Formats: sequence, structure tokens, C-alpha cells
Amino acid sequence: MSDELDFYTVDPDREPEERAEIVKLLAECGLDYEQHIEAFIVCREAGKLVACAGFQKGIIKDVAITSSMRGGALSLRLVSEITYLAHSRGYSTLFVYTEPHNAEFFMGCGFYPLVEVPKQTTLLENTPVGIKYYCKTLTRQRVEGKKIGCVVANANPFTLGHLYLITEAAKRCEWLHLFIVREDASLFSYSDRFELARKMTADIPNLTLHEGSMYMVSRATFPAYFFKDKGMVGQCRTAVDLLLFRKYIGPSLGITHRFVGTEPFCDTTRKYNNDMKYWLQEPSSVAWPVKVVELERTKRDGIAVSASEVRRLLAKGNLERIKKLVPAPTYDLIINKYVDKLHRSDP
Amino acid sequence: MQITKEALAGTLESSDLFVRISPTDGPLELIVKSEVEHQFGDQIRHVAMQTLARFEVSDGATVIIEDKGALDCVIEARLEAAIMRASDEETIKWGTRL
Repeated sequence: MSDELDFYTVDPDREPEERAEIVKLLAECGLDYEQHIEAFIVCREAGKLVACAGFQKGIIKDVAITSSMRGGALSLRLVSEITYLAHSRGYSTLFVYTEPHNAEFFMGCGFYPLVEVPKQTTLLENTPVGIKYYCKTLTRQRVEGKKIGCVVANANPFTLGHLYLITEAAKRCEWLHLFIVREDASLFSYSDRFELARKMTADIPNLTLHEGSMYMVSRATFPAYFFKDKGMVGQCRTAVDLLLFRKYIGPSLGITHRFVGTEPFCDTTRKYNNDMKYWLQEPSSVAWPVKVVELERTKRDGIAVSASEVRRLLAKGNLERIKKLVPAPTYDLIINKYVDKLHRSDP
Repeated sequence: MQITKEALAGTLESSDLFVRISPTDGPLELIVKSEVEHQFGDQIRHVAMQTLARFEVSDGATVIIEDKGALDCVIEARLEAAIMRASDEETIKWGTRL
């Protein structure tokens, strides 16, 4: 029977007729068509579209099979095909979000559950060892102590606010683990953000600086974070990211406290901070609680220092004001690299 | 043989298996997930290790097998394909016994 099935790749932006059929199939299956999907694998039986699966940056999306074809071999073929397609475009580990009652479908296709937000969503990855290997590398950097802290920062760019938060956090615990968000989706590149963080924290003796990963504030774990400038805050899903932290990252490093700055400007970050208290501190069978410590932001001229404010000032070209909010290396980098970059794109 | 890049072979369909080989800087690690784990898990591991040994893959790789009840010869064939794709070896020498 499987030889009657015709599988092929569709680029939704260039093939509007195929796209229209995909939208229709998804609607029949109660799913919305997601924007920005790089490519779909579709399957036709005697000319009729019966299944589709898409991906975007290593995340599988919009998987649908027409009701009469479910439960058969088609699903396994479909997932195999999308895995090859994504691999050929450079995405080796794939993630998928699905409703918890559908998780079993993906578990039959080589996916392994990472975390479940009860009644809402389950995140799975298509390797049995991805998170396990990651935790192993973290465990090697574990420092034993009663109070082990953690700060996760995008540091886009590194401000005096970050410096204050990190210095204060380091003072309050025996060891501090600092993670810089790895996703290269921000104005300042990951390598620049990491390098500044390295420079600015080099003389803190009880601190380990870590590279971020796809398991922490990444497109996979926290897609809304990177779209916050586009007004998607309402749909912000923070639980998956925070549960991954509590279940895997925290225990690997023995983290007892997570430090955040109060957030005066950015709605997404503020929501993330509030959700953090719930998902990290509430009793749960997932893992021991991690205490959330919110430190009051440091202020300059009565205004809280924040990276979003620096970016706003940069867009307006207000360098004098920026100078008061960032350490010298950040200011130098802005002058040398990012002023030009902004002006080139905005002549 | 040196594993230099990640490669895939096979499918998740019934009677087949899906193989993923990735380069690492550690020892050779073989992970087998099978629907017939209880009856044939050891046999699958045995066939896989033999095949890997035949290609002299002894370290620097992680091999993940998602088995859907494949026969031994299928396991060998899929693994060979994955090894070739994951190494810099361009073509399979069909005429010579490897």
C-alpha cells in the first residue's frame, strides 16, 4: 500500500497552491497554519493530500494526518521524511511541541519527552540522549555548596544592571553559575554578548561562566522571548523553559537559588520573572524547588538600568545616555561595531 | 574509520530501523531502542558492534538505533550506509568484501 503514497517537499512561500491545501488539511485536523515554516513534507494518496509535517529552525510543526489514514504506517514514514529533510538543512536534533495526549504518537516515532506542562503541552526531542549528554557536561562543572546560585542572561548588551545583579548574586552564594543565552536572534551577536560577559566577570572568583544551550531560553524552549518586539507577549509560554531548568539544569549543577533583576520595562521578561516563582518554587514531583531571588534593579539618574533601554537609546542615537548605563567595554563595542550597523540598516 | 559528521540512515517504518551516527570526542557509545528489546536487544547490539568493528569505528562516535523489528541483514546494511555517510569515504567498494 505504501507505494501508492507520494511524498515530497513543499516550500510554502513559493508554492501557494500547495500551501492552500496544507492550510485546509490542518483546519480539518483542528490545527492552525503556522507562519515562517521553512519547508513541509507532504503526502498524497491518489492525488489527494493526506498528511503534512513542517519544520522551522529545528522545531517540527503542523503535523497532520487525515483521519482515515491515522494509526497506520504513514505516520512513521512521514516523520522519517521530515527528519531527513531537516537534517539536510542543518538541523540534527529536532523538537516538537504537542498536546500531552498526542505525546505517545511521537514517542513511537523516535521522540523522547523532555517536559510536560499538564493539560497544555509536552516538549519532546528526537534523541534519547540529548538532554542526558548536556546534563553530563554540566555535572562536570558542579561545585558543591549549601547555596549555589544561577543567573541566566541574554545580556543584549551587557549593562551596569547585569554587572550589579551578577556581583550581588555572587556575594550572596557560595558559587554562581552564569549562563549567556546562546540563540543568535538578538541585536548583539552571541559571540559579542558572551565575550563582554567574560570580560566583565573575569575577576569574580566564585563564578563559572557557561555557554547557553538549546535547552535554556532558546527558540526551542521559549519561542516567544525572541518575538517579544513583535507583540506576541500574550501567547508567551514560559513553563516549558522553566520546567527544563528545574528538572535538568538545576539538579545537574546543584542550583538552589536563581537570581533575577526586577523588570520595569519589558513585559515578556516581567512575565517570565513572575512565572519563575511559580514553576521553580511550587512543590512538584518534577524536582526540588529552586528559590527565586528578585533583586531590585540598579538605577542611574533615577531610571532602572536595562538592556532594552540601551537598545532603545541606541536606535535613537543617544550615545551620551548609553554611556551612563553600560560598562566601558560595552560602550566601546557599541561605538566600534553597532552604531555603524544600525545606521547602515537605517540610512 | 573516522566519524567526521552526523549522518542518518534507514526509516522508522516497520521491519526497518533508523540509525543516527554523530562524532564525539569520547569513546564509542551504542544506544539501542527497540520494540523487541526484551527478546532481541542483545542480538541487535551484537550485530551493530560487529558491523562497527568491521569498519574500525572504535571510538569518537555515538550511534543511536531506533529499531522497528529489523532483520540482522537490514541492521547491518543500514549501519553500513550510516557509517559511509558519516565518514569522508566517498563511495562504497561494492566489488570487495569489506
